[in-house]
Order: sequence, then structure tokens, then C-alpha cells
Amino acid sequence: MALVDAFASSPSPMVITDARAPDNPVAWANDAFLQATGYDVEEVIGRNCRMLQGPATDPATVARIRNAVRSAEPISVELLNYRKDGTTFWNAMTITPVRDAEGVAFYYAAQADMTHTHQLEVSMRGTNDELERLVDARTRDLSAALEQKTALLHEVDHRVKNNLQVISSLMLLKARRTPEGEARDALQSMAERIGALSTAHRMLYSEGDCTHFNLGDFATEFLADMNAGLDPGRRRVEADVEPIAVAAAMAAPLALLLHELTANALQHAFPEEREGVVSIAARRTSSGMHLTIRDDGVGLAAVPPNPAGFGRNLVEMVVRQMRGTIAWADAGPGTTVEIDIPIQGSS
Amino acid sequence: MGSGNAAAEAALRILVVEDEALIALELECLLDDLGHVTVGVAGNAAEAIAMAKTTAPDVALVDIHLVDGPTGIEVARVLSADRRTTVVFMTANAKRIPPDFAGAIGVIAKPYSERVVASTLDYVADRRAGRSDSDLPDGFSPAPR
Repeated sequence: MALVDAFASSPSPMVITDARAPDNPVAWANDAFLQATGYDVEEVIGRNCRMLQGPATDPATVARIRNAVRSAEPISVELLNYRKDGTTFWNAMTITPVRDAEGVAFYYAAQADMTHTHQLEVSMRGTNDELERLVDARTRDLSAALEQKTALLHEVDHRVKNNLQVISSLMLLKARRTPEGEARDALQSMAERIGALSTAHRMLYSEGDCTHFNLGDFATEFLADMNAGLDPGRRRVEADVEPIAVAAAMAAPLALLLHELTANALQHAFPEEREGVVSIAARRTSSGMHLTIRDDGVGLAAVPPNPAGFGRNLVEMVVRQMRGTIAWADAGPGTTVEIDIPIQGSS
Repeated sequence: MGSGNAAAEAALRILVVEDEALIALELECLLDDLGHVTVGVAGNAAEAIAMAKTTAPDVALVDIHLVDGPTGIEVARVLSADRRTTVVFMTANAKRIPPDFAGAIGVIAKPYSERVVASTLDYVADRRAGRSDSDLPDGFSPAPR
């Protein structure tokens, strides 16, 4: 029969078992099967296929095959089998029941040696494990380096803050020991400038984001510090500042700017016992921010020009540093200062 | 400068635990301006604990980094065990404070302004007098309850 010849000479190992004989023995096997298992034909005919199983064969897979055969259903599995010489191979098999009028007569099993594929899987798993080990090691190194950098940042931050405190203590101590007058005022106003810088610095790192500075948060603290030194019945500072986020590098110049303009207004706009209000406003614009510092005092024209005046100089320097523009105007009453400052990356 | 002079009955006896001499000296002047009394200045843990034992201060202002290392935490723990003393941290290193604040009621972040020191001490005086309704001063971060 041509079909039997074709099966006999097929390169795929094939086996037929007799379902009606006791223990389902092998009834026929092709050459490819004999070659794959290393047995002679008389060594396999009449025996059950479990002869190919060994100590490392998965019992659960064997149980699945047994159940499929018992319920006469087809099954495809991969099983570790043993050759006659004891070596193992991965056997991928499809077992199909063959029926006649009385029921299942034979089981037909076609097989394929999957050892190569399994080796590949095992070596892939090995490669993956190795890669994961390398990634873990690299991640550990990077985490350690990051931890070190974070510790260093905290250390530097701590030192800067402490030094600011020392500097301001120095100024105030010297001021206390200086007789009332110009020198003492100068020391006191320097201490106040450092105080404004300190507030900016304290806010920089407190929220965990050390790349941005929120002008609104700063203004709240700054306002409280400024008003603490004023008689609330006569003079006060007000602020209407939007929560504008700027780059950390702008924190110090902005703090200095707001402090200088506010302190300047408080010092010059209200001579003698004149009462008044200094108001600070900041809002976002399409290209950056617009600041307005206004007082209802005596106005620019009423203040004698002071060639030694440091405040106005400082303000114009800082505005130039931030590439901004500034305009001073008599508002009648008082003085208005309008400042535009571009912000990088602003839409 | 804050609320100005503390009323006579609100004057606090304060122990300053700070290893930076300039900061400690200026703080003493400020406390004096505010009408409080500095009962001692300590620069290390042993000194701080010994001074607290002999003076039983109302308030201890405690820096974390002292001459002998980050021992301010231990100082706070020992000092706050005496119920007569209210401990407030005063540090540029608030990240080192443990979650339970080692018995301290809060922290003033350095660099501080004189206003924050003044309003925090007013708040502490109110609390010690049983007036717990006073507002939390800004610039002062309370310990979690």
C-alpha cells in the first residue's frame, strides 16, 4: 500500500499502537522512530510507549497523555523521552485515536525532536538572567551615585542656609554695637537685604523642586516680614502676586528687586509722620511677567536727588541682569514703578 | 520686629542650643529685645543636657548640628522628657528631623527672620498658658500630632 510505504519512509518518527491489546502496545513504528530512539524494531513492538520515559520525564504531562488516551481524545504535548543509550530528547507528539465501527482501534502518534528548540529556550533564559543581573548591578551603581549626589546637595544646601544665618547675625550684631546714624542704618538695611535673599533661598529647596521658584509663595513670606517692622496703624505693604513659577536662577535677583523697591518706598515716600500704603502686584504676561510697585507717598519730585543713593542703582542693575525694562513715574499721589521681565520658555 | 516686647507674664526662660557662636549671640540679643530671658547657651549635647537639668528652661531652641555632630535630635529627646520644657528645633537641616520630632513641637527653618522667632515664641507662650486657639505662625512648621 502506497500510503503505508509513505509513512514507513517518512523522516518524521511515527508509531501506531493497538488500542485493543492489553496495555496499548506498539504495533508498528517507522525507521525514523527507530532512529530517533535508538531501538531495533523487535525491541519496541509489543511494548507500551512508556518505555521511553525516565526519571526526568514530567509526570503531569504523562498524566495528561494517559487521560487523553483513556477518553479517546487527540492530544499534542512535549515530553522528555529517553533513548536506548540513556540520552534524552524533547519529543513533541500528536496522538490521535483512529476509530472503526466498534470504536477506537489504534492510536497514531506523529513525533518531532524538539531538543534543539528547548536548548535555545534554556540558553535564552540564561542570557536573560545574565542581562537582568547586569541591569540590576548597573541600577545599584546608579542609585548609589544618585544617593551620594543627593546627600551632597543637602549638605551644600545646609551650609548655604547656615552661612546666610551667620552673615545676617554678623550684620545685626555689628548694627547693635554701632551708634544710631548712617552707619547703623546701612548695616541694618544690608541685614534686611540678606533676609530677603534668605527667604528666597529657603523657599527654593523646601518643596523638593530645586529648579523652580514660586514668586507668589515668596511674596507671602516677604510681606509678613516687611509688615512685622511697621506700625500697622500708619503704614503697610500689600501684595497681589500671582503664583508665577520662574527658574531658580531668578529667585535671588527677584527677591532683591522686590525688597529694594519696597524698602525704598517705605523709606522715602512717607517723610515725617506721613501715612501710606505700598502695593506690589505681579502678573503673567505673554512674554514673562509684569511687576508694579506703587506707593501713595510724596512722589519722586518731592524727594531730593541723592547721588549716593544705592537702592535705585541696585534696582536698575538687577532689572538689567534679568534683561527686563523699568519705568519710574510720578503717579500723583506717589510713585509708580513698572517693570517687565521676560521669562524663558514662557508662552 | 514681631510682636515687640513680651508682656512680663509671657517672658520665657530660654535655653539656646547652638554651636555657631555668632548665631547664638545674635539670638540672645533678639530674645532680650523681645523681653525673654536666655538662661544659657550650649554648643554640644552634654552641655545642653547638663544646662537643662540645672535651669529647667521653659523653652529650648535646638539646632540639630552641634559641635559633636547631629546630636540635637538626642538633646531634644532628653529635654522634652521634662514636661516643664518645650523644645523647638531651629535648623537649616530640617530633613534630619525624625518623624516623631524627638519630642519637639516644631521647627523654625534657618535662615530665619526675627519676625518668625518672635511669633513662634508668642505661639509657644500661648500654648504653655493653655491658650491653644492662637494661629500657627508662618515660617514655623509644627510637629505632626
